[in-house]
Amino acid sequence: MSETSELKKGTEESQPASNERDAQKGKYMTFKSGSEYYGLKIQYVKEIIQFQTITVIPETEDYIKGLINLRGKVIPVIDVRLRFKQAPIEYDDRTCIMVINVKSTTVGLIVEKIAEVVEIKEENILPPPSIGRIDKAQNKYVYGIGKVGDSVKLLLDPDKLLNDEDLSAGEQDDDTEEDE
Amino acid sequence: MAEEFNTEGMLDMYLFENEQLLEQLQDRVLEQKDAECFDEDSINEIFRTMHTIKGSSGIMMFDNITAVSHKLEDVFYYLRESHPENVPHLDLVEHVLEVADFISNEMDKIRNGSPVDGDSSDIIKRLDGFLNMLKNGIAQGGAEQPPENVHEEPTQFYIAPVATSASRFYKIYLTFFPETEMANVHAYKTVYALKEIAEDLLYSPDDIIADEGSAELILKEGFRILLQAQCSEQEIRDIIGVGYDIKNVDIFECKAEEFLQGFDFGDQDTQIDLESSVEEIESKVQETAEEAGEKEVKEPAKPQIAPGDFVIKSKEPGKHKTLAKDKNKVEKASFISVNVSKMDQLMELIGELVISESVVLQSPDLKVPGLNLNNFNKAAAQMSKISTDLQNVIMSMRMVSLANTFQKMNRIVFDVSRKLGKDIEFEMLGEQTEVDKNIIEHISDPLMHMVRNAVDHGIETNEERAQSGKTEKGRVILSARTEAGKVWISVEDNGRGLDREKILAKARKQGLLDDNKPDSSYSDKDVYQFITLPGFSTNEQVTEYSGRGVGMDVVVQSIQSIGGALDIESQTGFGTVMSLKIPLTLAIINGIVMETGNSSFVMETSVIKEFVSVRENMMIREPNGDEYVMIRGECFPVRRLGKWYGMSAYKESVEDGMMLILEVEDKKICLFVDKLIGEQEIVVKPIPSYIKKVKGLSGCTQLGDGSIALILDPAGLLE
Repeated sequence: MSETSELKKGTEESQPASNERDAQKGKYMTFKSGSEYYGLKIQYVKEIIQFQTITVIPETEDYIKGLINLRGKVIPVIDVRLRFKQAPIEYDDRTCIMVINVKSTTVGLIVEKIAEVVEIKEENILPPPSIGRIDKAQNKYVYGIGKVGDSVKLLLDPDKLLNDEDLSAGEQDDDTEEDE
Repeated sequence: MAEEFNTEGMLDMYLFENEQLLEQLQDRVLEQKDAECFDEDSINEIFRTMHTIKGSSGIMMFDNITAVSHKLEDVFYYLRESHPENVPHLDLVEHVLEVADFISNEMDKIRNGSPVDGDSSDIIKRLDGFLNMLKNGIAQGGAEQPPENVHEEPTQFYIAPVATSASRFYKIYLTFFPETEMANVHAYKTVYALKEIAEDLLYSPDDIIADEGSAELILKEGFRILLQAQCSEQEIRDIIGVGYDIKNVDIFECKAEEFLQGFDFGDQDTQIDLESSVEEIESKVQETAEEAGEKEVKEPAKPQIAPGDFVIKSKEPGKHKTLAKDKNKVEKASFISVNVSKMDQLMELIGELVISESVVLQSPDLKVPGLNLNNFNKAAAQMSKISTDLQNVIMSMRMVSLANTFQKMNRIVFDVSRKLGKDIEFEMLGEQTEVDKNIIEHISDPLMHMVRNAVDHGIETNEERAQSGKTEKGRVILSARTEAGKVWISVEDNGRGLDREKILAKARKQGLLDDNKPDSSYSDKDVYQFITLPGFSTNEQVTEYSGRGVGMDVVVQSIQSIGGALDIESQTGFGTVMSLKIPLTLAIINGIVMETGNSSFVMETSVIKEFVSVRENMMIREPNGDEYVMIRGECFPVRRLGKWYGMSAYKESVEDGMMLILEVEDKKICLFVDKLIGEQEIVVKPIPSYIKKVKGLSGCTQLGDGSIALILDPAGLLE
């Protein structure tokens, strides 16, 4: 939770992006979690589905909410808020599941609100600013900050989002270092 | 890059084909290992197999495989062409198996990408030695030394002796003194001697070495030889020589046709001269047509082709050489090999179809009052039928017979018993029993351990057997049967049985027993379970095959991983039966669906013995939180599913929920769940690998309403 709040730099408004549909390159699916907007390269995103009943699996990490049945395929879903160590919220009809496919692992991400698809040019992506030890930043799931008009999107590395053991790194470091 | 890919495809094909060939080869060899010798079919088959492997290995440039297969091919070429008598059959079998092992070993290396560096020279040397021994003629009962003058060996590139105009044809008639012993051997000597000069040679009676009766026949009727050679009558006489045993030698020169006709024309076997030589012989016939000949030999007899001959003929009448081969071809044509992942995909899709079918048929939209659903229902019934059929078909497609797995065991028994010098009969029963492909993969290794154990530990040595007064041969029976939706595979031996005292003593030494309990308080079953523990072996001697105390625990583990169990029965002095009880299929199981908290769970029906509603007063609670329930005077430990998994909103009071009595690995436990939903066939799916292993869960499935239920692993509940 601390990580995202520290990262906040711009306004929360999202700028409408151009509607070009010819290439996926440079396009990001953005969604809201907590007070921030995050972006994920669109080629990872397979689809967005409505929230549906989740079968809880006991004895797993709390952010793994369980399994859903995606047209016969059983996929795990994780709650992005919990993954970011934000306080859980009640799911409502705006809650969506974003199905992503990373390195042939299909996982559903529960996100508070899907925003939109934006195009962010290479030159508008900045490495996450870091206070202090820069090497720490290498391993983080936010690999860049994309500027879209006045707002910024935190760009996520989905592989690290899913597999990094240590999203709790923030607990060892100061919150101030979290924005990488 | 593209080129690399290409060879890879070829390599796959090469490995796949040769693997199959080797498998067939082993099957065939082992099938006939107890016979006197290989039949004609097998010899041809092995020859062909080796030829194919040699060819393809040559293309792929695996030189050592090529060399070895070439050598074995030579051996079988010799067997095929020359029909040597008294081939040491078991040695031959071992040689073939050795070669097969070598090749599959090399192929493993190829598969793993390691260099194909196996040293083939040893095997080749041994095969050479074997071939030489064959060629030197193995005398019957060792009564005769192999003749010195060995005929030029036929190799694969053997060129048939060419009949030239200088060739002459002789009929030779030998008579022996009536008191001559082993006239057949003497006759054989003569034949060998004549081979030196022979371009072609036939003699009668033909089976002078194998058939001891031939000695008498020779004495009575004489010994006849047909010879084609470029030498004079006198030379032949010199070669044969008139010793004390040969009474008389008659030599007549004859015509080529007569020669070609052999001794007899009635029930003669197929005899095909290689084309070239036939032509030449025929041309020769013209030239020598006017030559005088001797009249026909009276006695009908089968002509025998001597070593070094270029004549191909079938060995025994009535054996249709092509029959087996034809059948094989038909079989091959009616099978295609399909990638298992495609089958899995199809299976998945059909599972999907079944579920979506139930979603459609139970759609709430149909519940609107006043709808006329007659036609819909008809169509729906038709569809249900088809989807059920479809499900059955895909299940049967995945079923594979155990025959192949059993054949491998045959090989193991053969190897181990030969090495240990034990005389063991191996019997297979019910090898046609079918099991899901995935399961076969899991049971092959455990079975191997069990069979090895039976041969090594189970069966006593020949001396021990004699001492304990056992008259019958050591016997290992591998059997399979289907019973109550499970497959039972047992390995049975009539050996010494498990030694209860020895196991108990060992268990005590290892501290596995409760010191306060006497030995007698342990049931046989309990005692036998000890041998499945890691590091537990009562075999004092570590042999090549067993005794290290690993094995049985591995067996149990891998059997449990597919939901099976191992059952041991034994009677000291009379043998042991180890049975594997395994599910028919992993893909679809019959399960009871139940609910705890807000989650659905499924438990395999077969482990559930009973459902019981219990009252609070039947519960017994220990201070440490352990609970028991007393049902009809029996006390069962209780596991509350909700509490165990730390779930929320599960029922606290035992009176609100349901107790399931489960029998797992001979233990009975009670599982407490909130409520039962019902029984249904469920399609087992793995839990996505992203989620780490959770205790007590073995998979998940989709229920009719599309929701997901977790499949409980009964063995996991014991943890």
